[in-house]
Amino acid sequence: MRTSKLAAAAILGTTALTTPVFAQGIELPIVDEPLELSIHMHWARAQGYGPGGDTSKIYPVEEVAREKTNIHLVDQTSGRNTTEQSEAMNLLLAAGNLPDIVGGANIRQPVNEYGPQGAFVPLNDLVDEHAPNIKAWFDEHPEIWDAISAYDGNVYYIPYLPDGKYARAWYVRQDWLDKLGLERPENVDELYDVLVAFRDQDPNGNGQKDEIPFFVRDWEEVLRLLNLWDARSTGADVYHQFYLKDGEVVHPYAQEAYRDGLANIAQWYEEGLIDAEVFTRGSSARDYLLGEDLGGMTHDWFASTSGYNVALADKIDGFNFVPFLPPKSVSGQRIEENRRIPMKPDGWAISYTNEHPVETIKYFDFWFSEEGALLANFGVEGKTWDLVDGEPVYKTEVLESGEPVNSQMYLEGAQVYRGYPQDYRYEWQWTRDAAREGIELYDSEDLLVEQFLGVAFDEEEQAVFDKYYPSIQTYMLERQQAWILGTGDVKEDWDDYMSALNKMGYEDVLEVMNSAYQRQYAN
Amino acid sequence: MTSDPNFTGAAGPSTEELIFDATEAQRRRRPSRIERVGDHLKREWQLYVMLIPTILWLAIFLYKPMYGLQIAFKDYSVFRGVEGSPWIGFEHFQTLFGNDQFLRALKNTIVISFYGLIFGFPMPILLALMFNEILKQTFKKTAQTIVYLPHFVSSVIIAGIVITAFSPSAGIVNTMLGWLGIEPIYFLTKPEWFRPIFVGTGIWQEAGFQSIVYLAAIAGISPTLYESAVVDGASRWQMMWKITLPSILPTIIIMLIIRIGNMLEVSFEMIILLYQPATYETADVVNTFIYRQGIQGGQYDLAAAAGLFNAVVAFVLVMTANAISKRYSRTSLW
Repeated sequence: MRTSKLAAAAILGTTALTTPVFAQGIELPIVDEPLELSIHMHWARAQGYGPGGDTSKIYPVEEVAREKTNIHLVDQTSGRNTTEQSEAMNLLLAAGNLPDIVGGANIRQPVNEYGPQGAFVPLNDLVDEHAPNIKAWFDEHPEIWDAISAYDGNVYYIPYLPDGKYARAWYVRQDWLDKLGLERPENVDELYDVLVAFRDQDPNGNGQKDEIPFFVRDWEEVLRLLNLWDARSTGADVYHQFYLKDGEVVHPYAQEAYRDGLANIAQWYEEGLIDAEVFTRGSSARDYLLGEDLGGMTHDWFASTSGYNVALADKIDGFNFVPFLPPKSVSGQRIEENRRIPMKPDGWAISYTNEHPVETIKYFDFWFSEEGALLANFGVEGKTWDLVDGEPVYKTEVLESGEPVNSQMYLEGAQVYRGYPQDYRYEWQWTRDAAREGIELYDSEDLLVEQFLGVAFDEEEQAVFDKYYPSIQTYMLERQQAWILGTGDVKEDWDDYMSALNKMGYEDVLEVMNSAYQRQYAN
Repeated sequence: MTSDPNFTGAAGPSTEELIFDATEAQRRRRPSRIERVGDHLKREWQLYVMLIPTILWLAIFLYKPMYGLQIAFKDYSVFRGVEGSPWIGFEHFQTLFGNDQFLRALKNTIVISFYGLIFGFPMPILLALMFNEILKQTFKKTAQTIVYLPHFVSSVIIAGIVITAFSPSAGIVNTMLGWLGIEPIYFLTKPEWFRPIFVGTGIWQEAGFQSIVYLAAIAGISPTLYESAVVDGASRWQMMWKITLPSILPTIIIMLIIRIGNMLEVSFEMIILLYQPATYETADVVNTFIYRQGIQGGQYDLAAAAGLFNAVVAFVLVMTANAISKRYSRTSLW
């Protein structure tokens, strides 16, 4: 960690992160007399605005923010006994007594649905007039402003904006490749040969044919193999989503490339190249299959997967699990479908009961200023980090405490799901070397594909979508698993499948998707 | 229980005599109706106080939420609230019945419940009868504890055990099939295997605990019946058929009616833990359908409509079962 500090700074230049632009003109404190604003803050790590959800305590970050802005956030979170954000949000809305600020995870859909009904304040004019930093950020990223808009064209929430590019990557047992005298697979045919060799040539050397060449934790990750046949498995950072094909919104599971790709996946599954228990293995698959020296290749998160090299060093002799470039598809394309999405459905909004919308938007703007962004990302200066040559650098005791840095930050009140621009420098400092090398490798080629950031439906479109789409997706997934498992043949069943989709309203769903898309992203 | 086909029940004073006695008594004292209720309350107030928590519970958790059922007939928006959302009539019901997946879920619910009833209902009775025949007390207690245990284990753990047991590579089931020379089967992705596994798991988990009710009923049978049967030279088998079973028959019937009323309440958390898109065909039930479409999809109004329909069917079932039982066995819930 220590030695790589300089290297980190050097690489940061090449990872081409969007360096935040900070506008001037923010006046602190925002109000002369302390002003209390109530807040609902519900997300995975904390149900309530306090360390770990304990609202009797105050985040160190909040204390500094109070000092600087004179605005005091006071917890008023609903649904504190559920971890389900949509449930908490519904409780909040149904109770009717909204706090001044509504924040947390997954607020985009409810805020954009109930904002136009009057529950939240439109932010467009407020941002224009009172939030120079937010405005500067979105002037640079107009497509994200479009993406967070509701169907009436207004913006109702300020999102959490993740930084960094990569999420999951392809990983292979380099020591197995070396043992069998193989190269890292560069294309789909070589990948096939490697998997066959893993299956047949006993790379773990126990004399049994028990190796599982390709395994995943979430069974949906198997679908990434579709990319090898120029098909898509999803258009966003969650599974089974629509994607953009030549400027039009379509579903990946209704494309001919998908048919061909899935036929091949079914073939690989039948040949035993893919984990036979892929649908029921679940989240312990990676721990178990790597720990027992059984798994050869996977597609999983960059950072956490690299951790096994340390964890299993003593247990398995020579264990070396490394990221490799996505193999080229049949047409010679190399893509990494999974990436960090540039904006999340998380953040915060101003509710209609708020009597100080101007002060609130100025407060939101504070977190987009240089000072606020550092506070939101790294915690309190001098406590968790110091400024070294103009760069925020974590203190050694933070990096070496044994606790993951993000977990420490959550308790400080940094990296909380308020609306703020994340700074990748925060994560890079505690990314392990294996993953850093992988990220550099992935950066050496242009692998990422455009993400579909979703659309905001008006009420009629929402009704059409709700009526047809849940059943369509259920049907798609049912057929998908059946084909992979060998119940039915995707090529033979294809025409029936497509006509069934059309009968279930696929065309209507595409129509509302595209009309909403045109409205939202036209300019 | 009596051989006289004309047996009519009550012996002693006839109805006319009772009414006469009552009016006589009233004529003599003539307390007002309110006075009598007051007297009664004064005398038995402890009993009424004990009733209050249950009444409150019923009112708050069962009757008050029924007010919200109206969203089944409304275009519901959480922000507009139950009252502010516009009425749309039976549109949600039309949507449901136009949806093949809902109809399939309905069919699956009925089939799975029916399997559960046929195979699951007799099990606890059999268990109770078997426990009753065990003479050695320590063995009986140990055996009972072992069969009760799964009831206290969380569904998530049970599902984990099932997934592991039926795993094609390491599962005990496939290992045993391997001894017989049968290729491993990936049970949990095969639609034809889902129902047997689910119903079997349910029986394994609950049969022991449910047998408690029957054991209690058996304990209530007067020992004199058995003693006289022994004197008459009855075998243990005969005593079970002629004494034990008939004596616990009312309990069995009440349990059956309750069970039929709950028939559509398939334990859906277990299904969610065990099913896959590949097995939706046989595994998707109304409650999982509601969960996917309604709760995950945010369509509370549609989910309420599906739930209401489920409740209506369950109500009809329990009324029918009760009526049949009343008619043929004179045992009924009300």
